[in-house]
Amino acid sequence: MAQVTVNINGKAVRVEEGSTVLQAAKIAGYDIPTLCHSENLKPFTSCFICAVKVEGGKENMVPSCATVVTDGMSVIVESEEINESRRMCLNLLLSDHYGDCIPPCEDACPASIDIKGFLDLTAKGREIDAAQLMRLKAPIPGILGRICPAPCETACRRNRVDEPLSIRAMKRYIIDYEISGKGRVQLPVPEPDTGKKVAVIGAGPAGMSAAYYMRLKGHRVTVFEARAMSGGMLRYGIPSYRLPDKNIDEELGAIEKLGVEVHYNTEIGKHIKAKELEREYDCLMIAIGAQGATSMRIEGEDLERVYSGIDYLARLVEGSPPYIGNKVLVIGGGNTAIDVSRSAIRLGAEATILYRRTRSEMPANDYEIEEALHEGVKIEFLVAPVSIRRRADRLVLECTRMELGEPDSSGRRRPVPVEGSEFEIEATAVISAIGQKVLPDCITDLGIEITKWGTIKTDPNTFMTGRPGIFSFGDCQTGADIAVRAVGNARKAAFAAHQYLMGEEVTGEPVLFNSSMGPLEEVSEKVFEGYEKKPRITLPIIAEDKRLTSFEEIEKCFETGKAREEAARCLKCGCDAAEECKLRQYATRYGAEQRLFVGECRDYQTDDSHEKIKMEIHKCINCGACVRACAEIKGFHVLSFEKRGFITRIKAPFGRALADTHCDGCGECVKVCPTAGIMEKRVITEEISEH
Amino acid sequence: MKKAKLIVGLGSCGIAAGAQDIYDYISSKVEGTSVEMGITSCVGLCHAEPIVDVLTAEERITYGNVDRKFADKLLEALQEGELPRENRILDSEEEKKYLEPQVKIVLKNCGVIDPESIDEYIQTGGYEALKKCLTTMKPEEIIEEIKKSGLRGRGGAGFPTAVKWSFLAASPSKIKYLVCNADEGDPGAFMDRAIMEGDPHAVIEGMVIGSYATGADHGYIYCRAEYPLALKRIKKAISEAEERNFLGENILQSGLSFHLDVKEGAGAFVCGEETALIASIEGKRGMPRLRPPFPAQSGIGGYPTNINNVETWVNVPRIILNGASSFNKYSYGKSFGTKIFALAGKIKRGGLIEVPMGLSIRNIVEEIGGGTTTGLPVKAVQIGGPAGGCIPDSLFDTPIDYDSINATGAIMGSGGLVVMDEKTCMVDVAKYFLSFTQKESCGKCTFCRIGTKRMLEILEKITEGKGEEEDMGKLENLAHHVNKTSLCGLGQLAPNPVLTTLKYFRKEYEAHIFEKRCPAGVCKALITMVVIDDKCTGCMLCKKACPVNAISGERKQVHSIDPDICTRCGICVETCKYDAIEVL
Repeated sequence: MAQVTVNINGKAVRVEEGSTVLQAAKIAGYDIPTLCHSENLKPFTSCFICAVKVEGGKENMVPSCATVVTDGMSVIVESEEINESRRMCLNLLLSDHYGDCIPPCEDACPASIDIKGFLDLTAKGREIDAAQLMRLKAPIPGILGRICPAPCETACRRNRVDEPLSIRAMKRYIIDYEISGKGRVQLPVPEPDTGKKVAVIGAGPAGMSAAYYMRLKGHRVTVFEARAMSGGMLRYGIPSYRLPDKNIDEELGAIEKLGVEVHYNTEIGKHIKAKELEREYDCLMIAIGAQGATSMRIEGEDLERVYSGIDYLARLVEGSPPYIGNKVLVIGGGNTAIDVSRSAIRLGAEATILYRRTRSEMPANDYEIEEALHEGVKIEFLVAPVSIRRRADRLVLECTRMELGEPDSSGRRRPVPVEGSEFEIEATAVISAIGQKVLPDCITDLGIEITKWGTIKTDPNTFMTGRPGIFSFGDCQTGADIAVRAVGNARKAAFAAHQYLMGEEVTGEPVLFNSSMGPLEEVSEKVFEGYEKKPRITLPIIAEDKRLTSFEEIEKCFETGKAREEAARCLKCGCDAAEECKLRQYATRYGAEQRLFVGECRDYQTDDSHEKIKMEIHKCINCGACVRACAEIKGFHVLSFEKRGFITRIKAPFGRALADTHCDGCGECVKVCPTAGIMEKRVITEEISEH
Repeated sequence: MKKAKLIVGLGSCGIAAGAQDIYDYISSKVEGTSVEMGITSCVGLCHAEPIVDVLTAEERITYGNVDRKFADKLLEALQEGELPRENRILDSEEEKKYLEPQVKIVLKNCGVIDPESIDEYIQTGGYEALKKCLTTMKPEEIIEEIKKSGLRGRGGAGFPTAVKWSFLAASPSKIKYLVCNADEGDPGAFMDRAIMEGDPHAVIEGMVIGSYATGADHGYIYCRAEYPLALKRIKKAISEAEERNFLGENILQSGLSFHLDVKEGAGAFVCGEETALIASIEGKRGMPRLRPPFPAQSGIGGYPTNINNVETWVNVPRIILNGASSFNKYSYGKSFGTKIFALAGKIKRGGLIEVPMGLSIRNIVEEIGGGTTTGLPVKAVQIGGPAGGCIPDSLFDTPIDYDSINATGAIMGSGGLVVMDEKTCMVDVAKYFLSFTQKESCGKCTFCRIGTKRMLEILEKITEGKGEEEDMGKLENLAHHVNKTSLCGLGQLAPNPVLTTLKYFRKEYEAHIFEKRCPAGVCKALITMVVIDDKCTGCMLCKKACPVNAISGERKQVHSIDPDICTRCGICVETCKYDAIEVL
């Protein structure tokens, strides 16, 4: 066949006469995106993402899938203008694409744990596999399963049917199951030695998680820990009635057994300089947490029997609890305030929390607040401390009443003192738990940048500081936050650190575009139609009397039957085609935004009637590939366009269900669908895949 | 009774205005007398329907706004002599302003002959052009004559007709098709309907000449099913033409054979686009496809096809019969002949007009149209249908010419011309036209299907008083994307009303967004109806008229309007005899 010469972005290529610009560009090494086109079908030109510009032609762009090249033709297939057009095309398509790429629970999880996956495995009785699946994203699921505030459960779509899945409890159950059966947690075998040396500062959840992932990659990992034991805030900041020591020892110990060396009682700056570590190791990972207590900045704060919450909790763990007497006042509204109060109750004291805003602004988890109230902790709202002084052997806390004013930068209404409302409360001890701060002095010799909030500055995706090879994550990078975020960020940092050590470009974990049906309360009612109500199964709890007098763990584990029954409640949200979806790939490539245009969007509508094929019309992008595959390849007319304008849809014609057409389930339509508009029915993947 | 013929204008518009009733009424009265009845179609004077022509031995007088009472008067006069002076619509000074600037080439028979009579068509010179072609001209001479005339496609794009024909003529294919595009879908445009209802044989004659010139042996008239009268008349004309051998096998013993079928469309606007029209004729969903291949290369069933609009086809026999110079003597730049416009909106003399190229928009609006119905100054005209644009009064000296109109950002289109006065909100106008194109998008291409919807939503937001600063930029950006990255004219031109109003009436957008004010007093969310105390007489008329009881006040006391109940329907403003209600 005759050949013609075409110029693609300035590069001349010889192609067969009759080729399209799309084909010619491929030969020239350009991957023009296309959604509606398939090699097996005639060009249709509906998606217009493949649009390119013919030089010397009209101002308009032309679809490359259908534009036949002519000799000497000069085409621009990639440019700022064309990329902008592609991004806009995707923004528009996504604004009318109703679906979740990944389940909202996974999306809400700071560590991106494959929750749907581990629930499904558990429901099928494959807890050991479920444990492995969880550790792909978080190496300490047994710990998280005890303490995580579970943003996943807040996002769980089952909230709209009845109650969310017991996701947090399920994690703990899976690891308990693993330990009870196998004797210990079963970690994978590290890859062969790379010869690279990694120093991690801090053996808390962030440091140990990073150590785990780096060790698995075959690096030699040494952790430096100031305290006598590992765990950081997990051990020293969370009372054992919530997280027993043995669980910390089990999971963090297992990481040590992988060959991670931990140097305890080694304080950076005192026993060894950070600068020295930098010299001796190929990579330095800083996870020093936020170990300092925020000061109340009031008179009398330095009096005896005035403690900070985190110091108090640490001394409990170290076995030297300070004297608190029988009437403790706790200042603050976060989880530490709750933990301190509940510990005080267990030691026989009365505990009252003073909080300067109201219940709805309290940063502590609702569940924790409920438990505290249940155990007898009192909470006084809209009260702020003014000063502390000694009166005989008691402390007198002078307070003022507060009221809520205008919202501050966090969106919460700012508390303002009510004039003349001062009053006094007597106590045997005052414990302030109003916040934590990073103590970065030990690493300042590295010369890395500290933000105005006192945290360590890094790139948000790679967690690398301004100095190559020095990474930071966990509370010291985010400010005091929840453990699961520290774990997730540690994994991401390890990914980037590994890239660094291997001499690759440091990009961090790939961030994929995620389509979402939006916040839980905005999701269409139709998504939840047809589900039977099944109440949530929660963990059993120890006897009440034991609870108030000891530090025994309050929650007990699921029975296996109950756990599997609960796991089976999962609605299996997310998209079955998310891995292959071209719409998602291109949205990632071009940085598309789903909510740039907020307006009418197609509603949830499926055709589930056929035994082999499922249509999710809410995800369809009207490219028409299925319609053409059916007609051109199969010679059938099972699908067609209907209506006009924005509400045009592809469906089985005349309002019929797919099962009532002559569709034989050949799947030609499925092969060409660029997204999840039409899919083969399949069971959720049984393999534990890395993604 | 005097011998006379009463001809009633029975176009769809006339019938809608009650002309059928007048026809039936007069017929029943004159039965058995020397007065004969006749019909014709639309003469274009929509504002004067029903229209009755009185044809006597001496003269033809046109009467407008004829009701039964006036019909009686006419009949009386026919008995007694003197025909009434009132209701004559074509001989006042004012009406001369309407008639004089017009040149009727295409519309010459409309409203004059009986469209259902092939004989009347023949009497006015009908089918003479065809005979001339078949007996004295070679196909290439016909194309040459059309070329000389400068005729360009009247469907809107203005592509030279002779060039289009020569593509088809050059094709070696044995099977070739001609199509008459009568899928007139622009809101407000009705010239194609009026021609088919008023002079159907002219369409047929044009097409038969086209078949001879290009070698096509089969033709389709693609007309929407919403035009029942046009369909009826064109079908009748086809069968009459076949009977007389102007159509069919061996036409007038020339050896030319040409068959013509009518294909009824389901009313999708996009089927006016050539490739969608072809798909529709083929029985497929009307969806445009990429050109090339052009219809002249691959049209109906893959065979070469030439598509021209109704108005274009009718120009053909006129040019052939009277010569190219009779046509191209009217010219401006690269535009020749005449163009029909459907005058609508706030114009005194709305209707169908045919004007020579080069006449200015001002001539059309002020002289032919007679200014606004409201007496308020004209603010703009919207030309070219939903894909057209708004031209401000400052550019009213723009001549009727494809290129001059394109330069303003509007398009000639099929010839819709909507007149707007100061009480027309330009944002609302853009919204109206965009909502039309959005609904009529075939739904295939991303930018057209979703882009126009998002644009419309931004316009809705603005007219609802929720516009934000970034909305204008967002709207403009999106408009450019939709324009550049749509497959067919519908998508490419859909942003025109938005782009031209943004260009010429940006201040109105800004008033909506920043001042939350609709300067024209149209956008309901942004206006309030207020009683002017000094003017209100307490007559209670508005109070009675208000459909939601938002007005209170006792007789002879100043009334007031409760803005929370008021729906801003404007009935009170119209009802008040004292201009005592103001729109703020």
